[in-house]
Amino acid sequence: MDNIAIKFENVTKRYKLYKSDKARFLGIFSKKIKYKENKAIDNMTFEIPRGQGVAFLGKNGAGKSTIMKMITGVSFPTEGEITVNGRVSALLELTAGFDGEFSGRENIYLKCNLMGMNDKEIKELEPAIVDFADIGDYIDQPVRTYSSGMKARLGFAINANVEPEILIVDEALSVGDKNFKKKCTNKVSEIMNSGNVTFLFVTHALETAREFCTRGIVMEKGRIVFDGDIDKAVEAYGKL
Amino acid sequence: MEALKRIIEEHLIYKKQIFKLAKSDLIKTYRGAALGWMWAIIKPVVTIFVFWFAFNYGLRAGGDVDGYPFFLWLIAGFLPWFYMQEMITGGAGCIREHKHLVTKMKFPVSVIPTFNSLSKLVIHIGLLLITIMIFIGFGHWPDKYYLQLPLYMFMMFLFFSSWALFAGMLSAISKDFLNLVKAFNTAIFWISGIMYNVNSIDVPWIRTILHYNPVTIIASGYRHVFIDKTWFFEAYDEIKCYLIVLAIMMLLALWAYKKLYKDIPDVL
Repeated sequence: MDNIAIKFENVTKRYKLYKSDKARFLGIFSKKIKYKENKAIDNMTFEIPRGQGVAFLGKNGAGKSTIMKMITGVSFPTEGEITVNGRVSALLELTAGFDGEFSGRENIYLKCNLMGMNDKEIKELEPAIVDFADIGDYIDQPVRTYSSGMKARLGFAINANVEPEILIVDEALSVGDKNFKKKCTNKVSEIMNSGNVTFLFVTHALETAREFCTRGIVMEKGRIVFDGDIDKAVEAYGKL
Repeated sequence: MEALKRIIEEHLIYKKQIFKLAKSDLIKTYRGAALGWMWAIIKPVVTIFVFWFAFNYGLRAGGDVDGYPFFLWLIAGFLPWFYMQEMITGGAGCIREHKHLVTKMKFPVSVIPTFNSLSKLVIHIGLLLITIMIFIGFGHWPDKYYLQLPLYMFMMFLFFSSWALFAGMLSAISKDFLNLVKAFNTAIFWISGIMYNVNSIDVPWIRTILHYNPVTIIASGYRHVFIDKTWFFEAYDEIKCYLIVLAIMMLLALWAYKKLYKDIPDVL
């Protein structure tokens, strides 16, 4: 049991789709309001052992991001149980939940505080993060002035440097320029080589997936259609 | 019950972060403006001045109350109102405003109203100190009745944090609700005993309803401290009404939380 980082047991996630926000609001008070249901995740069961690199492949809308959100603890399953052992560091949809009014540096503190670190620990990490993000003087400018590339850089820098036990990267590596991508892949391999970090990777970049992951989970419409060796997974993904 | 347990647990786990976030909320509100912190004071000062002017000169209604100048009576009630006003609309919008905490990282929704309320309480304490200085300026030194201030502050904090959880959850689902709250903000001011003494209303049933208005209860609590020098246990009825509305509000907040906390990250 100790070697399991993530465990999904019959997890189903349904989104309620109301006709409008008004209908959604009325739906709180009355069961009569109609809505459609969208099964984003349909009865999924899988286990990921500690230290494994797993790529999640699938077309848009297959439910990959929903899974990542549930592992991170942002979103909750409708049915089933999810067990997560270890500190999760996630880069969801590029921005890491920054507060636009604060500078990059302040966001480092805010974000790390929310992860449960104290100021002293953060101070030690700060130079590494600033250095890695490499966005120059912008580090002391409000995040709302950042380009999406800069946000992704800072987000990745924080998430990769907080010594996560489970690192989730959702598409993030696809925005930066060549140099930054290279820097990120180097960092990820450094983290992976250090041992016990579980790495979950959502991507359409199959080459990068091959590089870090030994296992691939291919998804379609909220179900697992293939789970196994990464090379075969890439093949299965190609056939979708 | 389960929802309550969950909320308490989340607060215990995130207790350090609550203070950090309250602090950053304060910094965020006032930084970047040329006058910075002064805005926390300028807004209330202008409001009080306008009302004092209108009542004293325009409506000529500003006679002394309980031997205190009308102006002092006014600010004693206005002081908690500024906090309550901020909480009525700001509390309702707080979860929406902190979207990034909900949708991009693991963070408990129930904590957002708490730190939001806490940051506004800090401003309230600042205004309280200024109010005390004004009273001293008029020759009224703090006395033993000031000891009840923490109690009334806590009562206010508890009720409006619960409100913020309730209204914040609903507003996160529906913008309509948030707009509804905003529309009623001014109405709440005028049906509460901030500008007048509720007990001077002639119609008994209206008076009774207004006694259950938490805004009135808190405002008169502050006036007990500053103006009419009454202990809270002498105003037994008010405390009783407060506890009833508090219980109702807490139940509503728990209901909204239980019903919606799983949906909010998906909807925001």
